[in-house]
Amino acid sequence: MKTYGTEPGAPTSVQVGISELTVSDGDDTLKSYGLGSCVAIALYDPETEIGGLAHTMLPDGDEAENSDRKPGKYADTAIRALLRRMVERGASYTTVEAKLAGGSDMFEFDSFGDGVGKRNIDAAKAELEKLGVPLVASDLGGDRGRTVEFTPETGTLLVKSSDENGDHGVTEL
Amino acid sequence: MKLDVNALGTFYRMAREGAGLAAGRLTHMTDVETRAGVTKLNFMRGREIRRDFEDSTAKVGVRVELTGAIEGYSVIVFERENALRIVESLLEESATDTDSDLSDEAGELDEFNEMTRSAATEVGNIMNNGFIDGWADVLETVIDVSTPEFVEGRSADTFFDEVEKAPAGDDLALLFQSQIETVETQVGFSHYLFPERESMAALLDRLRTSGGIEYDKLDGFDRMAERGAEEVAKTATTLTGIDTSVEIRRLNFVSLETIPEQVPDERLVGVAFEFDGVPSGYLLFLFDEESANEIVDAMVPTGAGDTAETDGFGQMGQSAIQELGNIMASGFLDGWANVLDTTIDHSTPEFIHDIGAAAVDPVVIQLGEDQEFAFVFDTVIVAAGREFDCEVYAIPDESDLERALNDLDVDRIEEEPTTAEFQNVTGTGTDGGAGTGADTDT
Repeated sequence: MKTYGTEPGAPTSVQVGISELTVSDGDDTLKSYGLGSCVAIALYDPETEIGGLAHTMLPDGDEAENSDRKPGKYADTAIRALLRRMVERGASYTTVEAKLAGGSDMFEFDSFGDGVGKRNIDAAKAELEKLGVPLVASDLGGDRGRTVEFTPETGTLLVKSSDENGDHGVTEL
Repeated sequence: MKLDVNALGTFYRMAREGAGLAAGRLTHMTDVETRAGVTKLNFMRGREIRRDFEDSTAKVGVRVELTGAIEGYSVIVFERENALRIVESLLEESATDTDSDLSDEAGELDEFNEMTRSAATEVGNIMNNGFIDGWADVLETVIDVSTPEFVEGRSADTFFDEVEKAPAGDDLALLFQSQIETVETQVGFSHYLFPERESMAALLDRLRTSGGIEYDKLDGFDRMAERGAEEVAKTATTLTGIDTSVEIRRLNFVSLETIPEQVPDERLVGVAFEFDGVPSGYLLFLFDEESANEIVDAMVPTGAGDTAETDGFGQMGQSAIQELGNIMASGFLDGWANVLDTTIDHSTPEFIHDIGAAAVDPVVIQLGEDQEFAFVFDTVIVAAGREFDCEVYAIPDESDLERALNDLDVDRIEEEPTTAEFQNVTGTGTDGGAGTGADTDT
């Protein structure tokens, strides 16, 4: 959801909740908190400085009934929806690049099979490849949660995670 | 009256749609940016609704009676302070256009007078109408609304007792609850819909796409979950020596994405389990860091190792929390298994120390492969005078739950005692995996 600050033109910070996606430009920041096995997909066009962030929870939207209503819920439909909205806003399809973060597997439950995080990572990578969008950086897997902050102007994806002792590590992608 | 997931899903969409419209209208009216927060369908008993409501802050409400496709009452509740602030900003705005006396009056509001009361009623009414229009859209039907009534007070009685259809202490009511927040200032409003039982039954019949579950079984299931929650509190008290009790207990029906949003946005310490049987699903115990420290202190003899570590939870600390989680899980699931006359096994405990939402989303993702919504058994255990806040989330697999509910013999619930087992847990608890079953009573 886009919210407007009181000063016109001041950068805004937009929270992208689970299953949501947002497209913006310039120095606005798009944030997703507490990604566990969810995957954050950031796409941006360095030339127009238009970008978007999706907080996806499942791999395969083409198989699901409600992916029209909630494209941001699934890795494949989220990537396509982000691209479409960015191009509508003036981005050029051919220069769009991708960064990914998330997809941890914190629990080793039998019912989880190979891991719910891994399934999301695989789906996001496969869809990017299919559409010819280069994956330029990523921070994926492991067993820790992450919070991400994306700025379309620079294409910077900040990834914060914490280790067992509560020390916060910040990775800039 | 029978319900199924499709019908409840439609109700959920109604509640969310309504909350969105109400938030939009509030923004339009006050120029304050708002958004619809967490939306839930709760199954709650009358006395729990009242307890939930009575947090000692003064509140004002605007109540309307509904007829047509839904019969019942719709109530918007503001904290009294927030209502005054909103009215203040509304009156200031109109005063700059017309009359400066108004703005003087609005500037020092601490009581409702005739004018501010009518302004607050108007705000509440516009929001109520937002909700109702949202439902009417989803149901593609007409809902008629009475003139709004302004209510002010501290206790739930003032708000609900005159409502003819408000649930009595022991009645399990289906309650629509939504939060609307202003983006900058964190002002929240609650919305309650008390649908009348017969009109609800008729609606459910219309929306159902499967055979469904008898509503009365849900009532039984809720009572059974109540036992599970009490068992957890009792177990925690026995193990830690900290006197704990069940503070909040709700049976929610929510879209899966809502669950991580509900968890506090801070680092939590938790223990997670998968359980297997009818029903199968996931069980999570989440503690804030302070509570987790308190538990470790209570369970691990001082000087016995690395508990003095400041931030992290060393091996001993982890083991203690896992052990507690393991026994609480047995207690909780025993409550279910006994009543369902079945066996529910649970996995070994998985320890987690991470941002709250990150601990919950793997479970939500796994369930999300096959379902869009979930029943969540949401429990908060607290201790008087000490830090012991434990949130318990039990999220069963939907199809298993429906099966379990249909098999449920409601009459058994009153007969069966629930008993947790203490004697078969040894060592640090990391070996876990104790099966719980109806026939293993001590």
